[in-house]
Amino acid sequence: MLKGFGNFLLKELKELVRDPKIFLGMIIVPAIMFPLLGSIMSYSIQSAQEQAQKATLLVLNNDGGNWSEAFIGNLTSYGVRVFVINDTSPEDVIAHNLLAEYNSTQFIEIPPGFSYNLTRHTQGNLNVNASIEFYGVFSGSSMFESIGSTIIDSLVNQYNRALAPDAVYSEKSSIIKGEIAEGVDPSTLSSLMISQAIAMPITIMILLTYSMQIAATSVAMEKEEKTLETVLTLPMDRFSILMGKLSGSIIIAGVGALAYMVGFNYYMGSFTGMIPSGTSLDLASLGLVPSVFGYFLLGISLFVTLLSALALAVIISAFAEDVRGAQSVVGYIYPLIFIPSLALMYLDINTVPLAFRIILYAIPFSQPVIASKAIIMGDYTTATFGIVYVAAFTLVIMYVASRLFATEKILTAKLRFRGLGLRKRGKAPSEEMQ
Amino acid sequence: MTLAVETENVVKLFGNIRALDGLSFTVSPGEIFGLIGPNGAGKTTALRIISTLLLPTSGTVEVFDIDAANNAGEVRKIIAYLPEEAGAYRNLSGREYLEFMAKFSSRDKNKISGMVKDAAEITGLGERLKDRTKTYSKGMKRRLLVARALMTKPKLAVLDEPTSGLDVLHAYHVREIIKRYVKEHGVTVLLSSHNMLEVEHLCDRVALINKGKIVAEGKPQELKEKFGTANLEEVFAKVVGLA
Repeated sequence: MLKGFGNFLLKELKELVRDPKIFLGMIIVPAIMFPLLGSIMSYSIQSAQEQAQKATLLVLNNDGGNWSEAFIGNLTSYGVRVFVINDTSPEDVIAHNLLAEYNSTQFIEIPPGFSYNLTRHTQGNLNVNASIEFYGVFSGSSMFESIGSTIIDSLVNQYNRALAPDAVYSEKSSIIKGEIAEGVDPSTLSSLMISQAIAMPITIMILLTYSMQIAATSVAMEKEEKTLETVLTLPMDRFSILMGKLSGSIIIAGVGALAYMVGFNYYMGSFTGMIPSGTSLDLASLGLVPSVFGYFLLGISLFVTLLSALALAVIISAFAEDVRGAQSVVGYIYPLIFIPSLALMYLDINTVPLAFRIILYAIPFSQPVIASKAIIMGDYTTATFGIVYVAAFTLVIMYVASRLFATEKILTAKLRFRGLGLRKRGKAPSEEMQ
Repeated sequence: MTLAVETENVVKLFGNIRALDGLSFTVSPGEIFGLIGPNGAGKTTALRIISTLLLPTSGTVEVFDIDAANNAGEVRKIIAYLPEEAGAYRNLSGREYLEFMAKFSSRDKNKISGMVKDAAEITGLGERLKDRTKTYSKGMKRRLLVARALMTKPKLAVLDEPTSGLDVLHAYHVREIIKRYVKEHGVTVLLSSHNMLEVEHLCDRVALINKGKIVAEGKPQELKEKFGTANLEEVFAKVVGLA
C-alpha cells in the first residue's frame, strides 16, 4: 500500500524547506514581518500616548468666572500641564505664535458666558449649556492628535460627572443561546466575537492559498527540472507520488500558516492599548468557545477542504509547462477562496439573500469558515453537512488527480492560456498506465 | 530464449502525428544496443514506451517477457530509465539524491549504502557529492544521473542520449562508465543517440530508425560491410537515400 510514499514525502519536505522562495517567503517573512509591524505600531501608540500626557495645554480663559476657574482646577487635578492666558482669542494665539511660545500644540478656549450658562444650567435651565472649544494643530496623520482630542473628551466627561452625577444609567445584558447573560454588553460581545471570527477565515484563507501554491509549484518544478519522467519510471505507486505531493504541501503550508498566525496574533496584540476596557469577557463561561467535538468537526472540515484544494491545484498545475505558469493558473481558484472567506467574516450566512446563500454553500472552500461559526453556536448539523459535501467533492477531485497520475497525460498534457480562455494543446491518449 | 526487449509493430500516434510507425526490434540480454537516428526519428518515443511512460497506440512491447503496457509495475522493478533532459532535485545534495533513488530499489540499509557507494565511484564527483545538485555543471549532473541509472544494477538500463550536451571529456567518461558497468554486472543497455560515430564504438548492435521505422539493424561492422561504407553515418545516409 502506497509503496515509496515515506521516501518520496521526505524528499518533498527537504526540497520545499530548502527552497529559499518557500522558506523565506512563506515561513520566515510572515513570522518576522508581522511582529515587526506590531512592534512599530505599538511603539507609535505608546509614544503618542506619552507625548499627549506630557503635552502642555494652553487655556484661553475668556470667561473669568467661578465655573471656568473650577474647570481649570479640575484639569490640573488630573495632572494636565496647563498654561492659562486671559482675554485672548484663538486668532491671537495663531497671530502671536503663542503655541510655540508655550511649547504646545493644542489649546482650549473657555468662551465668555461659560460660568453664566453653567450657573443657569445648575439652577434648572437644562436647555442652557456651556461649551468649550478645543483646537489642535494638524501636523499630518500621527496618532498624537487623535489621542490628545480623546483625552480632552474624557476630561470634560469627568468634569460633567463631578458636576452632576448620572441620574440614569443603563445596564446591558445579552441573550446567548436562549439564556440571559447578565451584565454582558451585546456590542462589546459582538466586537469581541468579530475579532475572534476574523482570525479563523484568515487562517483558512492563508492555509488554502499557501498549500495550493506549494502543491502547484512542487508539481510544476518536477516538470521544469525534468525530474518527473524519472520518478514516473521508478518502482513505486503512482498514487504515492500524488499523496507525497499533497502531504508535503499540507505540512509546509501548515507550518507557514502557523508562522503567519503567530506573527499576526502578535501584530493584533499590539493594539490592545487601543481596545476599550471592559472587553475582557470570559467566552468559555458564556458557552461561546467550541467544544472538543466542535473542534474535531472543524479539523475534519479543514482537512477535507485542504485535500480537495490541493488535488485541484495538482490537477491544474499538471497542465502547466513551468512553475510560473502553474502559479498563475492556480491563481484563478483564489477568488473562490477569498470571496466566501471575506464575506463570512462579517456576515451571518442565515441573513444573506437565498441566492447568495446557495452560492456560498456550494463553494467547497466556504465550508470550514461556515463550520467555524456554526460550531461556536453549537450547530453541529451544518458543520457535518459541510463535511459530507466537501468529502464528496474531494473524492471526485482526488479520483481525477489519481487518474491523471496513472496515465501518460501527466507527462503529455499541456494548456495554453490566452487571456482567460483555455485551449488544449497536444492531444494525448488517455489510456491508463499501470 | 528470453529477450531483454522485444518490440513488435509498435505504432504511436500523437493526434495526427505518427511518431512510431510499425517499430520492431529486439535486444538480447547483456548487450549494449543503440537506437540511432536523426532528431524527430522516434527514438525518445520508443524508449519512453519501453520505460512504461507512454502506451503504444498499437503493437506490443515486452521487457524480459513482461508486457510493458499491461504490466508496467513489474517492468519498472527491473529497469532504470535516464531521460535525455533529465534533471536532479536542485535542493538535494548529490549523495541525498542517490540515497533517495536507491531506497526505491531496496529497504536493506546495507544494500542502499552499497548502491550509493558504487554510484559515488561511477560519478567520480568525490567531495562534491555533498553539495546541492544546483551547484553542479551539466557534465557533473549527467554523470550523477548515469550513475543513478546504473547503481541499482537493473536488468535493463534505458539511456536516452546519455552523452547529450557533454563535452568530449565528459562524454568519454560517461561512455567508459557504461562499458565497464555492462562488463562487470551483466546489465543490458538500450541507448539512443543521434551521434552515430559515438554509438559505433560503444554498441554491440544498432538499429537505425527513421520516421518511426527501423530501416537497418545489425552489428556496426556488419552494417558497414553490407553497405560498403566507412562508418554508420554513411550507412544511414545510404539507407534513407541521401547518398
